[in-house]
Parts: sequence; C-alpha cells; structure tokens
Amino acid sequence: MTTAVQPAGGGGGGSWNRPSSSGLADVIDTILDKGLVIDAYVRVSLVGIELLTIDARIVVASVDTYLRFAEAVNRLDISGVDQKGLPDLVEGAVSGGSKAKTKGALEAAGDKLRDFLGEEQPTERAGRRRKED
Amino acid sequence: MTESDRAIYVYGIVPADVETEPDARGVGDPPGEVTTVKHGDIAALVSAVPTNIALGRPEELAAHAALLDGAAAAAPVLPMKFGAVLDTEDHVVDELLAAHHDEFAAALDELEGKAEYVIKGRYQEDAILNEVLAENQEFRSLREAIRDKPADATRNERISLGEGINNAIAAKREADTRVVLAALTDLGLTVAEREATHERDAVHVVCLAETAKQSELEDVLGRLADEWDERVDLRLLGPLAAYDFVVSRTPE
Repeated sequence: MTTAVQPAGGGGGGSWNRPSSSGLADVIDTILDKGLVIDAYVRVSLVGIELLTIDARIVVASVDTYLRFAEAVNRLDISGVDQKGLPDLVEGAVSGGSKAKTKGALEAAGDKLRDFLGEEQPTERAGRRRKED
Repeated sequence: MTESDRAIYVYGIVPADVETEPDARGVGDPPGEVTTVKHGDIAALVSAVPTNIALGRPEELAAHAALLDGAAAAAPVLPMKFGAVLDTEDHVVDELLAAHHDEFAAALDELEGKAEYVIKGRYQEDAILNEVLAENQEFRSLREAIRDKPADATRNERISLGEGINNAIAAKREADTRVVLAALTDLGLTVAEREATHERDAVHVVCLAETAKQSELEDVLGRLADEWDERVDLRLLGPLAAYDFVVSRTPE
C-alpha cells in the first residue's frame, strides 16, 4: 500500500484549488526565513551558491504609511460615525457576513486532506511514502 | 553537468521510507529531478543543481515549498531554509546524514503525525478604519480637519492621523493575536507568533497540529472567522512542513 504525497501549491492542474493555498508571498514569509540552517550542520562540503535577493517582508511604519492611512480615512464613507451611534457601527463591523470566503478557505483545506487520504491518486504528487508493514 | 559545476540542493530531511515520484521536480532551470539520499533511518530530499546560476526565482521558491509541504502532509519532514547546497551526494551522506543521524531521527519522531499550520488574518480596510475612528474622538477631529482639503496643506494633520491609526491597528493586532493564540492553546497545540508582514495584518501565527485533527483546528478558526466576519479575512495555510518549529543547533 502506498500513501500519496501531494504538493501543497504550484504545479497547476491540482485536484483541489483552495483560495488559501500558499501564494508566493506566503512562501517567502516561510522558506527564506525559517527552517534548518545548513551551515549549522555542514562545513566542509558546503557550496556557496548565489541566491537572488528578495526583500524580507516586514512592516516598517513610515510617513508614507501614515499618509496612506490618512487618505483612506479621508475617502472613507463613515456616514454615522461623525454623529452618534458609534457602538452600533462597531458592532456592525464585527458581525456581518463574508462567511462564504473564509469558510471556503477553511473547508478547502479539509478537502485537500481528504483528497490525500482518499484512494484516488493525484496526478501531480511529488512523492510517496512506503509503508513497511 | 560535470562533477565540478554540479552540486546537490538539499530540501529537507525525511524518514528513510519516504520515496519521491519520478516526476517530482525541484529548483534549477530546467528543474532538477528530486530524489532521496538515504542513510540509516533517515533520508535527504535532494536534486542536482548547476553551481553557475543563482537560485531564488519565484518558481524555485514555490518548488521548494511545494515539495516539503507535500511531504509534510504524509510524513514528518525537517525543512531546510531555502538555499542549502552541498557538493556531492556522498557528502550529503557523510557530513549531513551520518553525522547527525540520531538527532534528525529523534526530531522526525517528534513530528510524526504532525504538521505546521499558518493562520493569517488581514483587517478589511474600511471596517478597521471605521472601528478605530469610532473609538477615538481625536481621529474623528483630525479627519474633519483634512476633509476635502488639499493634501499639501494638511500634511501634518495627515501624518498625525495616519500615525495614530497605525498605532491603533497595531494595538488591535496584538489583542486579536492573543485571542487566536488562546484558542489554539486551548486545543493543546504548540504555537508561535510571526512578525506582521503588512500594516493591516490582524493575526500572523503558526501552530503545530496533528494532521488527523485538522478538522478541530478548522472548527475553531471557523468560529473566529464568523465572529470577525466583515472585519478580518482569516486564512488557514497547511498542512506545511514545520518551518517554525525546527531549530538548528547552535554551530560550535
């Protein structure tokens, strides 16, 4: 019996396509910054290879950020905020309905796991793990 | 490629019983075929790369992540940070696998059945701006001060307003992150925080969870997503290799 191992992203034509699959930005946050550092384990056989530099994505608050927020507020439709009824507005903001989007993302993550556990062998699998027993 | 302009890219460490598919492709242009190099109970996921090119194109970053995350869904995997390259497969065995066999095997045992999940939340701009304005009279006054006035003439007010809002959102991020961390901790999961990567980030945390219990994680986040409906776009990424939970020993 074999168990399929399926890539979590990239490589087109997947059997699932959840909105929350890792995009490039997600990948950059992860693999450029985290993981085991090879230098900690290997010295002699290390090969220095040129890596294309990619700026780390960190938040640096700047005047540009402030000006952008100010402009966003300037353009904001806040009919109601200037008067009273502020608590209502806050409440409205935390209890509305973009359910479909988020639920879709979460459900799709489950779909992937089910796909992987199911009998059907995905075509774009990257590897398989052999059960020894 | 000859021996001298060819090197071995290492993606990560897996148990020796993990096998790659013949069509698994890795980094490089054209992408190298991914294979395993085994020693004892462990193996390295590797592919040959030419040494005369720079690595790090978007498709290479995606290939690195896809391979490790694909493996992590089914087997424990110790992911390497992008860009780990050794000279030969023999040295992958000697210097990497054999020299650290027991510590890698022990770490893989700990990860058995588990994978990393990333939870990302992003505030919806209008919703969060309305929220902070509603809570702060000074912001509302400043807004009136810049309202329909030229940007140049109100630069100081705009900077002051924007900075205040930025700080207010940062405070909300901290509070909402605590909510998510508490919910994950209640599930008994190991958690860690990540740096915000966007000024409207609401949450950026990671957890290590049993893949068999992914639905519990989804349920908890689903409830939070409902609670934060139209305020925070919440995403769950995973199962992923445990990038945030593997720690390199300190080089001596």
